[in-house]
Amino acid sequence: MMDSKSSGNDLLSLTRRNFLKTLGTTAVGTAATQVESVAAELQKLNAETIVGPAPIPIVLQVNGQAISIEVEPRVTLLDALRNHVHLTGAKEVCDRGTCGACTVLLDGQPIYACMMLALEAQGHAITTVEGLAHEGQLNPVQQAFVECDAMMCGYCTPGFLLSITALLKRRPHPDADEVKHACAGNLCRCGTHPRIIQAALKASGVSVTSQTEVIRYADLA
Amino acid sequence: MKAFQYVTAQSVDSARDWLGPRASYLAGGNDLLARMKEYLADPDLLVNVKSIPGLADIEPGDGHWTLGAQVTIARIEQDPQIRKLFPALHEAAAEVGSLQIRNVATLGGNLAQHSRCWYYRHRDVVCLKKKGPTCFARLGENKFHSLFTGNPCISTVVSNLSIALAALGAVVLVQQGKQTVRWSIADLYAKAWDNPIAHHSLAHGDLILKVEIPVEPGRSAYGQISEKGAFDWALVSCAAAAVFDDGRVKQARIVLGAVAPVPYQVEAANDLLKGKKIDEPLAARAADRLLAGAEPLEHNGYKIPMARALIQRTLLKLMG
Repeated sequence: MMDSKSSGNDLLSLTRRNFLKTLGTTAVGTAATQVESVAAELQKLNAETIVGPAPIPIVLQVNGQAISIEVEPRVTLLDALRNHVHLTGAKEVCDRGTCGACTVLLDGQPIYACMMLALEAQGHAITTVEGLAHEGQLNPVQQAFVECDAMMCGYCTPGFLLSITALLKRRPHPDADEVKHACAGNLCRCGTHPRIIQAALKASGVSVTSQTEVIRYADLA
Repeated sequence: MKAFQYVTAQSVDSARDWLGPRASYLAGGNDLLARMKEYLADPDLLVNVKSIPGLADIEPGDGHWTLGAQVTIARIEQDPQIRKLFPALHEAAAEVGSLQIRNVATLGGNLAQHSRCWYYRHRDVVCLKKKGPTCFARLGENKFHSLFTGNPCISTVVSNLSIALAALGAVVLVQQGKQTVRWSIADLYAKAWDNPIAHHSLAHGDLILKVEIPVEPGRSAYGQISEKGAFDWALVSCAAAAVFDDGRVKQARIVLGAVAPVPYQVEAANDLLKGKKIDEPLAARAADRLLAGAEPLEHNGYKIPMARALIQRTLLKLMG
């Protein structure tokens, strides 16, 4: 949970203020009541009682904050994040689990937010691209994306950032093939893949230049 | 997608009780939610079966391993013991969708998913599989379709895991009414061979509970060829498992995927291998037996040489 006193960065605190303002009816309480409210909503959901089709209260733990919203059971996690929590980092592109633009982390594991019901994401720690920077500092993967110029239109970028952040957590020093495997579920139509792979390697501590070949084109011919 | 109600079942009995005619079981949701978004399915109630105790367990054993239907495909892929004992299953799991899908998708959902035929998946097309009068793929775009089928629909089985599990001789425990029945993988898909509407043999309300995989002292392998190197459906897939006696095959199972509405097996091909050492000429003859009687359509004839190569490659992989 973000602490308002320790946030010395203007950009972050502004974002946080706007963020809280846009929540509207959302209750943001202390850590203790958050845990209680999550448990309470989960208990209701698990009690074999039918919910919906009208909106029901749910609690999502997004980037360390418990957020209460009311959504219909048919609302996907992606829809809830973008249109109810107003975190638009996760993108809607295909909405069918085939492009990766909506990738978020659920308990540290990458998933497609478009293919999960929001109410089923309760009780899990959700990380979106907005949760990667810490106290105004980009995380190493974000920083490497900037330095390697690893994006063009930017629509796929949040998804790639989360897939690579999750990869580096479980495997701090991957090779190019492992990066490709970890990013197989993220598509970039601008074709920035070589730079993305370079950025992932750079974030893991490998020294790369713009000339570093990470896709062996000769082998593809 | 249309609005619906939602309930979490805490036992197999209550899951069945909740499942009225307008309800669907919900596991990982990758297949079901996609069909609901395309208005191919419009249940009034989703019954979440992920919280039923015991159905998400991996139970090792000397005679057989039992995998709950709610075990995710990522867990199957990442289990080091499964990789060692059942390499075909590990390799098939690793080819399912992407990591984002495997982290959520379940074993049961993979086995029970619907056809990927683009006519079936198109919301405005009422094809044979949707109880319409015609299979549009037969005279239309059929590059991904069947070489073998017992009915006029030519869509193929798309579950990678079913191909590996058939080769491994797995048994599927299905809750059917008040009883639990034990099906082979062939049983699980038998209905899809004859019946154009069926994707598998499960009736509405049947629920896959677990899959038992016998521990055999042999080797297994899986391979697939796709248009893309990763995150793609198989154009053709092949799994094989064999038990050896002094370097010669004691018993073997070869299974082809994406060429029929069922995991495709030919007993004569399995029999051919018995008592012999697997080498290239023998693998080629086994491929001949598997592919005998293939009926290519306008755009899928390429699958025959592709399957032939893949069968040989997979059988030779068994030799290490």
